Amino acid sequence: MFGRRGNLIWSLAVVGVALLLTLFPIYWVLTISLKSEADAFASPPVWWFAPVWENYAKLWTKDVFRSSFFNSLCITLFSVVLSLAISIPAAYALSRLRPRGARAIARWLLLAYMLPEFLFIIPMYGIYQHLGLYDTYTGMALIYQAHVVPFSIWMLRSFFADIPRALDEAAKLEGCGHWRILWSIYIPSSLAGIVATAVLNAIWVWNELAIALGLTIARAQTVTVGVTSFRGYASIDWGAMAAASIAALAPMLLLAFFAQRHIVKGLTLGAVKG
Amino acid sequence: MLPCLAVLAFASLYPSGAALFLSLHDYNWGSRFEYIGLGNYVELASDREFWITVGNTLVFASIACVLELALGLYLAVQVDRLPFSTNAIRALLMAPLMVSGIIVALMSKVMFDPFLGVINYFLSLFGHGPSAFYGASNTAMATIIAVDVWWQTAFVFIIMLAGLHNLPRGPIEAAQLEGATDMRIFWKIKLPLLMPLLLTVAVFRSIDTLKVFDIVFGTTGGGPSLATEVVQTLAYRTSYGFLQIGKAMAIMVLFSLAIVLLCVAYERLQPDAER
Repeated sequence: MFGRRGNLIWSLAVVGVALLLTLFPIYWVLTISLKSEADAFASPPVWWFAPVWENYAKLWTKDVFRSSFFNSLCITLFSVVLSLAISIPAAYALSRLRPRGARAIARWLLLAYMLPEFLFIIPMYGIYQHLGLYDTYTGMALIYQAHVVPFSIWMLRSFFADIPRALDEAAKLEGCGHWRILWSIYIPSSLAGIVATAVLNAIWVWNELAIALGLTIARAQTVTVGVTSFRGYASIDWGAMAAASIAALAPMLLLAFFAQRHIVKGLTLGAVKG
Repeated sequence: MLPCLAVLAFASLYPSGAALFLSLHDYNWGSRFEYIGLGNYVELASDREFWITVGNTLVFASIACVLELALGLYLAVQVDRLPFSTNAIRALLMAPLMVSGIIVALMSKVMFDPFLGVINYFLSLFGHGPSAFYGASNTAMATIIAVDVWWQTAFVFIIMLAGLHNLPRGPIEAAQLEGATDMRIFWKIKLPLLMPLLLTVAVFRSIDTLKVFDIVFGTTGGGPSLATEVVQTLAYRTSYGFLQIGKAMAIMVLFSLAIVLLCVAYERLQPDAER
């Protein structure tokens, strides 16, 4: 219609608008977290202002936020390590040993991944109270496996599929056992995929709300539950709410920034190969 | 293999069984525990609140899902056309995906504030009066949909962009030589080739939007009145608010069945039966 040149300009315009719409909310909340109360509530909004750090200082002195931030770090780390320990051997077994029922297991995995959170939360609440897992790091890391393990196996299987079978045939002839093959062939050659899986799992666990809301109350309260406490007096203390939001999203945004290529590869490989 | 099965059984099989079991009882976390057969289900069938919630969930999921698929695909096509490396653009557009739903909700509360929010300020520049957004029944759902679109469109975008990169060059170049327009090439060649991938993304987005919780919980909590109540917030309120565990579990059992049926339907639709 407008020729190649026109097409290019149109594409640039669309992408520009998309970038603006995507980034503006994050930028805006960031500025509110750095504004004094008067500036934050100013109408019309102020675009240039002297940044203040008091909102972050206030946040740091709040025990609820500090401890929930620390809890989230621990639970995320624990969940990711546990999920890799379970799903690396499982993905290997599913893709190479082809046990009977591999298809059924694969389906069950996908289904477990798709089922709604509250189907798990409420029965788990009962059993966690009995087992003493309620409101603990271990309990949270365990329940998160229901979601994270299926996803990890699914991802790792597509990375493992790229490894030539001839390699493990050769290793087998040399007398290597399965663990040895896994440890010295599969893990080193799919390291990028394992990193991608770990990063995506970390992001999911860090950001999860519903399960944490149902199964923690104080000692293991995660940061997503912690920030909901700012919901009540939202209209009073915007600064604190904005600062809490930025502080809670910063770790994963940073992680994503450094692992960007891995994340894209992980997301797309999983979907493209199904 | 075995530890994997054990953990999965504990974390997924047990709750499903327990959910089914509890849904057949009248239970309030405490002493009252009575077998009532399908009583909870019968009660739900005539529960007006439940059906409104189901309707809201379907409205939210279908509109949000279609918008995200269309916008994500469109954006991927536009980015794919740019003649320079787009890694930085992709990284920036991906940012919302890394943000937790509850934080997206809080951020949107600041921006959509009816009195001091920046969105109303922008609207006033264009001569529109302020909108209550989350505060009024006729705008609350649209606002939540808009927020979800901001949050999740990038998921569709990233995967479709990769899909476009992986398309075979041959047929496209042949069509270009024949003088076909970009538009025609997209509809006749690219889109059909992308269809399986688009369907996979649709599975994920539709199930994810049906399960919406964080955004609603963080903004309206289901209100005003019942305008934005969705299945998972209803289940939360029924179990943790009203302590009607049996009823909440009946809701979840029905909801899970619907999701399983949806998965099966999508599997039938997928052209290659390779899985």
